[in-house]
Amino acid sequence: MTVSLYVHVPFCVVKCAYCDFHSTPISPEPALADHFAWAVGEGAAHWAALGVLDDVASIYVGGGTPTTLGSATVSPVDVLHRNARLAPDAEVTVETNPDTTDPAIALQLVEVGVTRFSLGVQSFDDTVLRTLGRCHTASSAERALEDLLGTGAAVSMDLICGVPGQTRDSWRDTVRRAVSSGVGHISVYPLTVEEGTPFAESVSSEAIEPPDDDLAAEMMESAGAELVASGFRRYEVASYARDGCEGRHNAGYWTGRPYIGIGPAAASMLPAEVFGAAIECEAWSDPGVAGIGRTLEGVPPECRRVRMVNPADTITFLRKPVGPPEDVEYLTGVEAAAEDAMLGLRLTDGITDGTASDAGVADVLTELASQGLVEHVGDRWRVTSRGWLLGNEVFESVWYAGTHRGMGWHSL
Amino acid sequence: MESRKEGGQEQRQRDTGSRPIHAHRGPCYTFADMSQATHIRNFSIIAHIDHGKSTLADRVLELTHTVADRDMVEQVLDSMDIERERGITIKAQAVRVLYTAEDGQTYQLNLIDTPGHVDFTYEVSRSLQACEGVLLVVDAAQGVEAQTVANAMMAMNAGLEIIPLINKIDLPAADPERVRHEIEEGLAIPADDAVLASGKTGEGVSAALESVIRRVPPPEGDPDAPLKALIFDSYFDTYRGVVALVRIIDGTVAKGDKIRMMATNVVTDVEEVGVRRPANLPVDALEFGEVGYLITGLKDPALVKVGDTVTLARGGAIEPLPGYREVKPMVFTGLFPIDGDQYPDLRDALDRLKLNDPALIYEPESSHALGFGFRVGFLGLLHMEVIKERLEREFDLDLLATAPSVEYHVFTTAAEQIIVHSPQDMPEPGMIERVEEPYLRATVLVPPDYVGAVMELSENRRATFKDMQYLSATTVEMHYDIPLSELIMDFFDQLKSRTRGYASLDYEYIGYRASKLVKLDILLAGKAVDALSFIVHRDKAYQRGRVLTEKLRGIIPRQMFEVPIQAAIGGKILARETVRAKRKDVLAKCYGGDITRKRKLLEKQKKGKKRMKNVGNVEVPQDAFMAILKVDE
Repeated sequence: MTVSLYVHVPFCVVKCAYCDFHSTPISPEPALADHFAWAVGEGAAHWAALGVLDDVASIYVGGGTPTTLGSATVSPVDVLHRNARLAPDAEVTVETNPDTTDPAIALQLVEVGVTRFSLGVQSFDDTVLRTLGRCHTASSAERALEDLLGTGAAVSMDLICGVPGQTRDSWRDTVRRAVSSGVGHISVYPLTVEEGTPFAESVSSEAIEPPDDDLAAEMMESAGAELVASGFRRYEVASYARDGCEGRHNAGYWTGRPYIGIGPAAASMLPAEVFGAAIECEAWSDPGVAGIGRTLEGVPPECRRVRMVNPADTITFLRKPVGPPEDVEYLTGVEAAAEDAMLGLRLTDGITDGTASDAGVADVLTELASQGLVEHVGDRWRVTSRGWLLGNEVFESVWYAGTHRGMGWHSL
Repeated sequence: MESRKEGGQEQRQRDTGSRPIHAHRGPCYTFADMSQATHIRNFSIIAHIDHGKSTLADRVLELTHTVADRDMVEQVLDSMDIERERGITIKAQAVRVLYTAEDGQTYQLNLIDTPGHVDFTYEVSRSLQACEGVLLVVDAAQGVEAQTVANAMMAMNAGLEIIPLINKIDLPAADPERVRHEIEEGLAIPADDAVLASGKTGEGVSAALESVIRRVPPPEGDPDAPLKALIFDSYFDTYRGVVALVRIIDGTVAKGDKIRMMATNVVTDVEEVGVRRPANLPVDALEFGEVGYLITGLKDPALVKVGDTVTLARGGAIEPLPGYREVKPMVFTGLFPIDGDQYPDLRDALDRLKLNDPALIYEPESSHALGFGFRVGFLGLLHMEVIKERLEREFDLDLLATAPSVEYHVFTTAAEQIIVHSPQDMPEPGMIERVEEPYLRATVLVPPDYVGAVMELSENRRATFKDMQYLSATTVEMHYDIPLSELIMDFFDQLKSRTRGYASLDYEYIGYRASKLVKLDILLAGKAVDALSFIVHRDKAYQRGRVLTEKLRGIIPRQMFEVPIQAAIGGKILARETVRAKRKDVLAKCYGGDITRKRKLLEKQKKGKKRMKNVGNVEVPQDAFMAILKVDE
């Protein structure tokens, strides 16, 4: 079974105002960083023992900011290499941000097998960066880009549009500097106000304007046009790449490839039978450290796919790296098919007629096509450029139709 | 009382295994001692809302050991959940308590708790007909308010003894002297010997009961005359059918009697008579002057009407008691299930509620926009809110209510008269000769500083100023004639906010008057949405149309296409706004493959949409249908 491997490093220097990912704003002491690396190794060994890591297509070390671990960033990557059997062309990505990018550590990472860095640039406008609560500046981002490209690894960067106060000019400048930096991969996200973030508070207290959806849409389109004109291809709703630079780890998420998540709040997706085997293991049923172990009940017979999320608490992970997940979702065959169709539509290649009909979503796609959100080309369904901007409409409709088959789309 | 009955009651409690929570404790009284009219006092507690009426009633039950302390739930008499939560009394209640006075004698006190809201004025008036006196409760800090005046007037008109009681004297802001002055000046009721009390601490409660015994006259009546009993309330018991609460004016009623309801002319047998303590306790008979309940086995609440007179089927009274009238709903709204499949459930739920609330009326209504539902008539806005809440809570229905309307009398050019409860039923403008609408006489009590604010609001609402007078240096009483349709449009909230909460309001129905009224249609994406149309005065149509379209633009979310919102009379467009098409709706980065979480966000979004009503192709949130009500001016 080919799988992807994800490691979640729940530390960052400063929590960004808009971020609702699981992370704690601390720079770990070397001892803590080493302990974290040990815990990752324990997690990997557990899955390796179950035979799940025999064919790993990609590794992604994300967060948080993995490079807050400093020189200890190297050990979890190293330990994964030793526990997993990687495909020869495996992609190994480490996320980083401009302030924690150290050229020497970057080189060490490449030496232990890292093939790709993903840098959180977000913007080349310091005013926008301050609004986002980022602690780096445009110039430190450029320096980090140089350092990373200098290692010879592939580099991807994230950009955010639709930020309050961000002008069209500022955005155009950011996109141009991203293109000319020499990276092969650029992801473009609109800013979203997530519940519970400082940013959401500022918006609700009217300290800052909420993001303007129309302007964000315009920026997404202008960025797309600029990137395509510069030789990038949009291969996914938010991602643009030069030929051969497509991110293969994320592509795995959209194509139904199983994945293992190690670390606090990391998600895994497994075929039901593999999960069934994991339940049997001692580490999942042994209470171990008081209060954090529990026994899972068996997998429901109709379940085909399991998605689970590790406990979010970092201390739990550090004390007992291997244990049962906090949340488990059992997906039936019908749900798995609907999910595959929904996620497949995030890719520009879209999904085949076969996938659509397996998922029972051909009718809803026809309906969405009449609204100009998707199109049928050859034997495939693809999202249109209008559909990209209204992705939620498409994904939500496809998921709903796929999981409510036989109810008739129009009555929903 | 006959012991067999008492035993029967206890037996039943043992059978059901429940604690006899309402059985009285202490010495075993026999009601016969106190059933002599000289030892009966029938009284009510009346007050402006929130002046502490129900808490006082609770203290009376405690003091007389009618309900054991440990079984005392706050405000026992307000037994419905919603009544308790909102701190209001909706249905009248009656309870008999026994009180040994300072003179050493034990009296039978019948405490008739009345609804405190103006929607239920008729019920209050019937309850007062069952009494000889009232405790007029006035908050020691708030002083005399509009319903204090209205209730006191009702008690005076009924010729009752009025005992002023200044309540909440434990409050730091209490000013009993000022309030005493307001009662004397404003209501012309002597307040020298007003009872000073606190429902919270219990202080003054026995003084109040002593006052009742000393000042409220015992009931008068003729024990030998044909039976005349006033029904002042009724409720539905699943096992027993309709239970009527009655005051015996003349004669006696006993189990087995054949009786007749004089208004509905229904003849039936008396299955049981009894008294409420507050649980039903059967007795052999109820004699003149007494208050109790009557079970007939009638299952149809429409046959047992509040205000009707009960007499014997043979040799009964010739003339009924005065004052009976049919309770007529004043406010109408369309109730539609959000999920069309719930229509039969809504019908069943309304049928069930009507058993306990004969004032509730409804008929099927269909709307192009909202599908099948009911046009429901209510006594007033509070009644409407309470019923809607009960339907949603007790029957688990998801309902959409259209903006309330009133009953219009439309006179057509063809010399016909049409009753219109719903804007949909309004004839074309060309067919209308004139339209009449219900008017109220509103009484507003307010500190002098806010007279200007009240005048401004009232002018905005087509109200005609009648007169005003100073009740005291701090309170002015103003009278207006105002269309009911204006009053139900957020009037009370506006009044409160413009007077910083100081104004109080009461009103009574005064009749129909002609007005220049037109139907204003609201069009979404070019199609008139029947459930959004409303009736408005011609001079206000343009302004309301503009305000409402603007409001709707804020309420209707952006859709996949542009949605024009228009206000129109006949074919003439008065105002237009546009909800631009939605351009962007994407989720942010999906991290670490936590697709479950993102998908749940999508599902939540979908659920939000399902709670909206799909009108044509436009998703309309529920708020839109109530927006008409909240036209800030």
